[in-house]
Amino acid sequence: MNFFLETIQVVLLSIWFNVESFIHLFVPRKRKNISGEVVLITGAGSGIGRLMAQEFAALGTVLVLWDINKDGVKETARLAQSNGAIKVHHYLCDCSDKNEVYRVADQVKREVGDVSILVNNAGIVTGKKFIDAPDSLIEKTMEVNTMAHFWTYKAFLPAMIANNHGHLVSIASSAGLIGVNGLADYCASKFAAVGFAESVGLELLATGKDGVKTTIVCPYFINTGMFDGCQTKWPTVLPILDPHYVVKQILYAVLTDQVFLLLPRSMYLIAGLKNVLPVKQGLLLGRYLGAFNLMDTFKGRNQKRD
Amino acid sequence: MMMIIAEFFVVILKVMWAFVAAGAKWVVPRKEKSVAGQVCVITGAGSGLGRLFAKEFARRGATLVLWDINSQSNEETAEMVRQIYKELDAPPLKAEAVGGVEEVPTFQPHVHTYVCDVGKRENVYSTAEQVRREVGEVDILINNAGVVSGHHLLECPDELIERTMVVNCHAHFWTTKAFLPKMLELNHGHIVTVASSLGLFSTAGVEDYCASKFGAIGFHESLSHEIQVSEKDGISMTLVCPYLVDTELFKGCRIRKEIEPFLPPLKPEFCVKQAMRAILTDQPMVCTPRIVYMVNFMKSILPFDAIVCMYRFLGADKCMYPFLAQRKEAMNNNEAKNGI
Repeated sequence: MNFFLETIQVVLLSIWFNVESFIHLFVPRKRKNISGEVVLITGAGSGIGRLMAQEFAALGTVLVLWDINKDGVKETARLAQSNGAIKVHHYLCDCSDKNEVYRVADQVKREVGDVSILVNNAGIVTGKKFIDAPDSLIEKTMEVNTMAHFWTYKAFLPAMIANNHGHLVSIASSAGLIGVNGLADYCASKFAAVGFAESVGLELLATGKDGVKTTIVCPYFINTGMFDGCQTKWPTVLPILDPHYVVKQILYAVLTDQVFLLLPRSMYLIAGLKNVLPVKQGLLLGRYLGAFNLMDTFKGRNQKRD
Repeated sequence: MMMIIAEFFVVILKVMWAFVAAGAKWVVPRKEKSVAGQVCVITGAGSGLGRLFAKEFARRGATLVLWDINSQSNEETAEMVRQIYKELDAPPLKAEAVGGVEEVPTFQPHVHTYVCDVGKRENVYSTAEQVRREVGEVDILINNAGVVSGHHLLECPDELIERTMVVNCHAHFWTTKAFLPKMLELNHGHIVTVASSLGLFSTAGVEDYCASKFGAIGFHESLSHEIQVSEKDGISMTLVCPYLVDTELFKGCRIRKEIEPFLPPLKPEFCVKQAMRAILTDQPMVCTPRIVYMVNFMKSILPFDAIVCMYRFLGADKCMYPFLAQRKEAMNNNEAKNGI
């Protein structure tokens, strides 16, 4: 198309998209029907993984649950079944091990079929100052929070592309948009997860596979125990989130094909400001919001390995 | 309640002042610090930006420690650096030679080369140990080494994905762990992360590279916060995010032809000069060219659909495709360079 005309088109479309987004702040979007879809959730044994399993179950889906903790994933399977899932399969899988991911993925493809909704949720955090963090834990954080996404995408994306139907959900973190003191390796892994999910999303659009959707979730701290002990400075602006609220928002985002979901809503402004302001002002804002001391009282929880 | 209102007002004032200060910097150039005599480690010094950084630091009289996986290109860079050192020393020696007495210069910068695969943690640690023994404590660390697999995600062998991640992201962990403790002790040092604009926004076809560069930026940011809090004000950090640079790494990448005259691939010398200015004035972040700030700004505030719309318009969504096609052809012809 003529360059001039296309420029006009882009400007008008951009304005329209902004208006549309604004309208949808008030008018709820139409939710898609996902009953019968095969939903795979990693890290389903606890936290928001478990809650998401229950919510997806209630929508009449087939669930495939992965976790490193056998008791956890079994319990989630039981809860999901009683919540209305068509069928629930659970598997033991250590997402930091590439070969195990591929092996279990093959098992899933044989026993269940093609996965149409992939929820990469498994995540760990060490919570130590970078210089004091053992190298093996740093590597493990990267393996679970980032590399595991590469392998699950490689395992399940081809089928989604072939059918031009699917949904890739990446549970990252707002620490994947803003660096946080005391979370150097976690931030690296979450930034990478965000960049990766976005890149794949753009590739799908570039190749015309618009039936495969992407949702990237970046929540602030959620009180599931993973970040136990962390304190937020101004709870009205940045509250520690309730997991039920988070999961409801995630489901809504998935059902309405929303690409980026930041929680709480103030995070959109904060992340936006951080990218817009000069670095020193971003730091000032960070200090003001207590971002420099978030991890000071971190306790966390110990990951149980079976 | 009063506390937050009071602090809020103070913050508003500080923010307004900061804008004034930032604006002033456009008009009044800042003084560049001297790095003469300081020990500067550059990873990936064998080619591309690494080589140019080496030359720039050599011109300013720093002692260079060059790391690269390729010993031949590393030595070539070292040779160029020695040339520059000679040129720096030449004038005073000429004057003294007349009387037959050669004055020993007060400081003689040297260049040291090491072959190191920064993707391997133990390699980094052992080479760092060697550097500390043979050269001394490191003042400036330039994390520049970078690779890209050159394949679409689903066609990319897992080893190449892992390689991109460990060289572009994990390597920064290990070099930082190796050199930062001493910097903290001496409260003196500078860490430079050479990332990419593809660490601020992504594009299709280079998923592994984007993931790794986003990761490097996240790490850099988080680390800089940690250092801020530790109040070691003698340590600076600079993040360099260049747009597409005209080196071998992304040869073939092409945006829309009408826009290309306005946004051509960057000349590496220009990119490095901008980066040097930022490093020597302790600027926390530098994007080249300046329009990258604009793209980052828009990406942060626009809805995703609008961003995709703009990408398509700029030809940025498929800009890597010719690069990937070239790589594929090169591999098919068995001409693949052994940088991967």
